[in-house]
Amino acid sequence: MTAGMARNGDGVAVPATRRTSLWQTALAKFARDRAGLVGLTVVALYLLVAIGVWFGWWATEWADITGAKWAPVSAQHWFGTNIIGQDIFQRGLYSTATAFEVGLVVAVLVVVLGGLLGATSGFLAGSWVDEIVLWTMGVVDAVPFYLMVAAIAFALADYPYAMHVAMISTFWTTTGRFVRGEVIKLRGLEFVEAARALGVGQAAIVLRHVLPNTLHILLVQMTLCFVDAIKAEVVLSFLGLGVKDGMSWGLMISESTLEFLAGHFNNLVAASLLMFGLVYAFNMFADALQDALDPKRVA
Amino acid sequence: MTTPLLEVRDLRKHFPIRGGLFRRIVGQVKAVDGVSFTLAPGRTLGLVGESGCGKSTLGRAILQLQRPTSGQVLLHGEDLAALTPPELRARRRQMQIIFQDPYASLNPRRTVGQAIREPLDVHRIGTARERAKRVAELLDVVGLGPAVQDRYPHEFSGGQRQRIGIARALALNPAFIVADEPVSALDVSVQSQVLNLSARLQREHGIAFLFVSHDLAVIQHVSDDIAVMYLGRIVELGPGGAICREPRHPYTQALLSAVPVPDPQQRRARILLPGEIPSPARPPPGCPFHPRCPLAEARCRETVPVLRSVAEGDGGRQVACHRVPTRPA
Amino acid sequence: MAGVADEPLLSVRDLAIEFDTLDGPVRAVDGVSFDLRCGETVGLVGESGCGKTVTGLSLLRLVPEPPGRYAGGSIRFGGRELLALPEAELRALRGRDVAMVFQEPMTALNPVFTIGSQLTEVLRRHRGLGRREARVQALALLERVHIPEAARRLDEYPHQLSGGQRQRVMIAMALSCGPRLLVADEPTTALDVTTQAEVLAEIRRLQGELGMAMILVTHDLGVVAETCARAIVMYCGVIVETNATAALFAQPRHPYTLGLLQSVPRVRETRLAELPVIPGRVPDLRSLPPGCRFADRCPRVSERCRAEEPALTPIAGGGQVACHHPQP
Repeated sequence: MTAGMARNGDGVAVPATRRTSLWQTALAKFARDRAGLVGLTVVALYLLVAIGVWFGWWATEWADITGAKWAPVSAQHWFGTNIIGQDIFQRGLYSTATAFEVGLVVAVLVVVLGGLLGATSGFLAGSWVDEIVLWTMGVVDAVPFYLMVAAIAFALADYPYAMHVAMISTFWTTTGRFVRGEVIKLRGLEFVEAARALGVGQAAIVLRHVLPNTLHILLVQMTLCFVDAIKAEVVLSFLGLGVKDGMSWGLMISESTLEFLAGHFNNLVAASLLMFGLVYAFNMFADALQDALDPKRVA
Repeated sequence: MTTPLLEVRDLRKHFPIRGGLFRRIVGQVKAVDGVSFTLAPGRTLGLVGESGCGKSTLGRAILQLQRPTSGQVLLHGEDLAALTPPELRARRRQMQIIFQDPYASLNPRRTVGQAIREPLDVHRIGTARERAKRVAELLDVVGLGPAVQDRYPHEFSGGQRQRIGIARALALNPAFIVADEPVSALDVSVQSQVLNLSARLQREHGIAFLFVSHDLAVIQHVSDDIAVMYLGRIVELGPGGAICREPRHPYTQALLSAVPVPDPQQRRARILLPGEIPSPARPPPGCPFHPRCPLAEARCRETVPVLRSVAEGDGGRQVACHRVPTRPA
Repeated sequence: MAGVADEPLLSVRDLAIEFDTLDGPVRAVDGVSFDLRCGETVGLVGESGCGKTVTGLSLLRLVPEPPGRYAGGSIRFGGRELLALPEAELRALRGRDVAMVFQEPMTALNPVFTIGSQLTEVLRRHRGLGRREARVQALALLERVHIPEAARRLDEYPHQLSGGQRQRVMIAMALSCGPRLLVADEPTTALDVTTQAEVLAEIRRLQGELGMAMILVTHDLGVVAETCARAIVMYCGVIVETNATAALFAQPRHPYTLGLLQSVPRVRETRLAELPVIPGRVPDLRSLPPGCRFADRCPRVSERCRAEEPALTPIAGGGQVACHHPQP
């Protein structure tokens, strides 16, 4: 008898493996992905920086004039100072918190909105509800992103969350389409039909059988959306449509346009490198997550 | 005369074909087009036919998983097609389905125990402890043992998943089960294990089966009666032994002759059918089989033959063919 | 040089093929040897995971590398060692000398090109025909595999054909250059039973006309019985039995072959109460038992079977079996 096999009366051998859900399998797979782990570590460091800013552990003097104009790199000013003598290192750290705040808020709300609308229209595919959702997605996608943002920013005047509203109202369509497609696929699968044959109600079918099988898509979409939001925030802030009070990498780059002519690049380099590091690490993490969660490769 | 458990009367399931700018209905796919039969308790009716003949749709229309276009489905004398959704959900205790694809028929994110307990939860049967006991008992019955209930479907082979699907279908003690190609995706040696299991359970629990398959050899092995479907209609219906010994409809004859026999000594004369199965969206006029039928004549191209008894002494055999003579009793 | 004339068309020796998985390498084919003479038809039969498809693919060296790897052995075709052949020569060989027909004709045909353009491409590449000449030949090929209205079909796309017709097109394409060996991997499994009967009849007829050798990879014992002169039964990556089809079906010697034959449902005079079964399941290739791979499921098992793996040995009356205690 083979080691590790248990045999029952009917002669059916069952593998005596550990009990693993698809989530545990995915986790084990992710743990073997070196690039993904490096990405995750870097993202965690950034997150720590952001948490420190939120709790006021560091970067508290980001708005204060703490040195001379354009002070060079020194022990006191690690990245030097800007045109009016503010510490670029502190401003860079503070901007990390801004990036996380924008990324998290936008990613979570996009996934909630896209997931709900996508799942509804997918489950009711072919009905008028589906038609309306699809039509809305089409309209939103047809308007160029920055035009849409500018329009919303103008319409909401000085509302501090105009940028968030703009991103959420445009980003959700991608998630929505993915979820809609997945739900349509799931709806036709036999285990959903089996649930109906067992007399399970509609709501329970959606909650128990359909939505849990879209979570991997939502998770991956959330990571992708996080990166997109951070990049968009930088561009919007640079254009003056983004962060109003506070500091962000985009505003730093925007500031640096005044400094180029004088030959000072500290602001530009610091903001670009910090942003690049986070976006790149997050992309590495997102790729690994996508691989680990892909149900075709897990099964 | 025993009362039938299930009686299907002139059941039709048509799917609209939409086309054009405003998605108007431009045609109908007549997947099931006027099917009638009865099934007694504890018996098996084998439904055989090739892809696209409507056999799977018929099974789902009977269970009201796809609401029929017209016709009646009487279970214990009550018309399922006329029930409201909540009434229907309550009746689902009496009828169940086993699916073809053992990989798609179990939710990958729920354990085996959760899958089998779900019907008990839904219909609020017993206390939590009784449900747990019932799940363990069902897993024993299908030969997997209660130890596997915390595992996830992907840890099992195709044949084992099919056993899980059977346990789930049995949970509510149904009187009637539709088995939709339950062994078609399985290897030969696993297939025979699952067929024996379902035969044993049928004997022990007195369940009536509608067993759907494209494989005539499997159908003959499991069925008391056989119904042969072609393009949405039953073309021949009768006792399994009689149909396999002496098929009367030209399509049944061709189907039987086409089954590959694993015995080089026993090669049968093969009836090769010209052409392909027509699309159910554009069925030919008259007998649906006439374009491929070696016996077709003028009236076959004009009038649809009805399913009728051909002889009293033939065990209630019914054939839908103009060319099969009605023998006097 | 005397040996060359007697050499079989195809000679596979101790072929081993491994696949890299997350849990380390797995041997899908483990020491397979067989010969094939010109014009011979052989059925390679077994259940999923037995290595029959991988063996079939390896004859054109089509096993994807990586994750696959040829871990040993040799495949000699027409006097040449395929495992040592450079990729350029392999490409010339594929389609011209050795052709393959796959299970799913919809995925094997390119959906965006017409049937005609896909057929003529093969003809122009391998036979160096001109555009017009290739089209004439393509039409002749479609007519040869009995596709109705062949001239019209040339300008149609794969999705406009039925499953049976697509498989006929695949066969036409495989035969276009007059190969000496055809490898057909489950060619009729995706087809309905009446269509399967026609396509098998077509394959048998063409094989006889062209005198090519054929390896039919299938799980269906009935298809082997009706199509092949000789059968090779595989289990868990090894050959367990091979014999002339008539002898193998009349008197299976390996307990697995016997079990497989008995457990197939067939149309019988009277219904059986129970089908004979092979108990248990196929062992995991990653944790094979030390001796015979079938030992755990075998009714004739002995201590020796659990310790020592049986080799494929000749049996009286032709054929070979890998069993310490073959059926009498």
